[in-house]
Amino acid sequence: MFSLVQRLGSAFLELLQFMGHMFLFLINILWCVVTPRYRPRNLLKQIHFIGVRSLFVIILTATFAGMVLALQGFYILSRFGSEGMVGPMVALAIIQELGPVLTALMVTGRAGSAMAGELGVMRIKEQVDALEVMGINPVNYLISPRLEASIISLPVLTAIFNVVGILGGYLVAVHLLGMSAGTYWGGIESKVGPRDIYISMIKSVSFGVLVAWVCTYMGYYANRGAEGVGRSITQAVVLSSVLVLVLDYFITALML
Amino acid sequence: MTPPSHLGSIGQLLIEAGRLSRQQVEAALQRQSGTVDTSLIGEILVQEGAISQWELLDFLFRQLTREREEYRNNPTFTPAIRFVDVEKVLDGRRVLKGVSLAIPKGKITAIIGVSGGGKSVTLKHMIGLMRPDRGEVWVGDRVLSGLSRKELVAVRSRFSMLFQGSALFDSLNVFDNVAFPLREMTRLPEADIRSRVEKALCQVNLDGMGDKFPDDLSGGMMKRTALARAMVTLPEIILLDEPTAGLDPIIENSIHHLICDTYMRSRYTMVVITHAVPEIFNWCHHAVVLHEGAILEAGPSLEVLHSKHPVIQQLINGALTGPIKVI
Repeated sequence: MFSLVQRLGSAFLELLQFMGHMFLFLINILWCVVTPRYRPRNLLKQIHFIGVRSLFVIILTATFAGMVLALQGFYILSRFGSEGMVGPMVALAIIQELGPVLTALMVTGRAGSAMAGELGVMRIKEQVDALEVMGINPVNYLISPRLEASIISLPVLTAIFNVVGILGGYLVAVHLLGMSAGTYWGGIESKVGPRDIYISMIKSVSFGVLVAWVCTYMGYYANRGAEGVGRSITQAVVLSSVLVLVLDYFITALML
Repeated sequence: MTPPSHLGSIGQLLIEAGRLSRQQVEAALQRQSGTVDTSLIGEILVQEGAISQWELLDFLFRQLTREREEYRNNPTFTPAIRFVDVEKVLDGRRVLKGVSLAIPKGKITAIIGVSGGGKSVTLKHMIGLMRPDRGEVWVGDRVLSGLSRKELVAVRSRFSMLFQGSALFDSLNVFDNVAFPLREMTRLPEADIRSRVEKALCQVNLDGMGDKFPDDLSGGMMKRTALARAMVTLPEIILLDEPTAGLDPIIENSIHHLICDTYMRSRYTMVVITHAVPEIFNWCHHAVVLHEGAILEAGPSLEVLHSKHPVIQQLINGALTGPIKVI
């Protein structure tokens, strides 16, 4: 019994230490974001990597998310004789929930894992130490541009997801299920307001910080060779995805 | 009489040793167009046919041997780096156990010992990548552990380091890797950076290879690129972490010659961690033997080479039997 308590206590202390270390890392990144030296070229490179190169997967996911939502929504709402509300349902679900969340999950899977992997390899190949020795702050050089790029890219990708998702819903609702285009767009126009867009953007910025923070942390502190890098990538993707969903709940609860 | 400084340190050495006359060196230099870079005089003399590459390297090696013997007879020095009773615990293991040592300024020091003896940890303490749990690390007149990040960056600007795995950036080609510290840490115009990088690449015999990427390079070429990157910032102290690890004996010998050549050109303080024993005793003035986190012996390399300590003898002879149990 004593040993169980001891193990639980030790695990709790380790968790506390891990969280504290992660938090200090975030403070360090944010400090580096606001202090020189600024490297616009690095930032653009990261925006291209996180944002532009995620575009295809975001468009693909958004199209099918919108289509399936319209399909499901149509059959569920038709049971209550409310199939006219398919447009607003698709739009609100995508703008408030699926857009920011799925975008964050896709970026985690595509760019977040790559971030963790790249930084992990740099760590074990002593390239991070090499930067330190040259007098270059590795957090400023490697991490800050990734966080900034993620904060810039996620809202743009989310906005694209939202638009494409609603268009996907339109394709199914209007062209497949025979709903009138006027009903679809009219419902969206009357039910979706600026506040919904605002919630979507707040979420996407928050997820941008979260994904870059967790993935860079896991990569930056990778150790124990190739196996350690592999583990850091897995941890980055799993932890980041779980935290996106947890944070999504709290933001939703706070803003509704 | 010492030959004039415009003939460069290598030109001066060749004239003083009687290997070339002053007229020969000056004639070779006069055939050059534009201003002559004194640190490239060795290359110019080879290019002009005054001396062959092999003869030059052999000459520099013999000069170093002479210096090592002089140092053995008069082992006085000014310390560039000092450890005072340094202790370090990593993962519950005492890696350094009260290490006190001094690295001579302007000389080549080798730190040797079996794997896990604390050599790399010692090197990381010298440049502030690790901080001691107890004791002090001095660089010149500064204690590293008391420095702010800004002050530490200033101290680090006096250093360069060649990492065991070279630590070249995969996304940059050879030229950009060597130019990297200059672009990031100085405000030099691009033309000056280009000329310094080309000079550094020439010094490590990699001229014309600037557009290759690290993946295209052999182990020896990667080490030479890393050495060029270490030299390009004109540091006072160069730390080399196993510069010959994983290389065949011929490339290992060429890297040792390159270290000797680099030293003779610029008289850096160099600290080499290596397992290339006993070869390294031919290439360093001072040797430090680290074993299980403690200094076994430190002093002129020729003295350490003839130490009667059984661990050192086993290390030098590579014997399977002795105080170090391997099987």
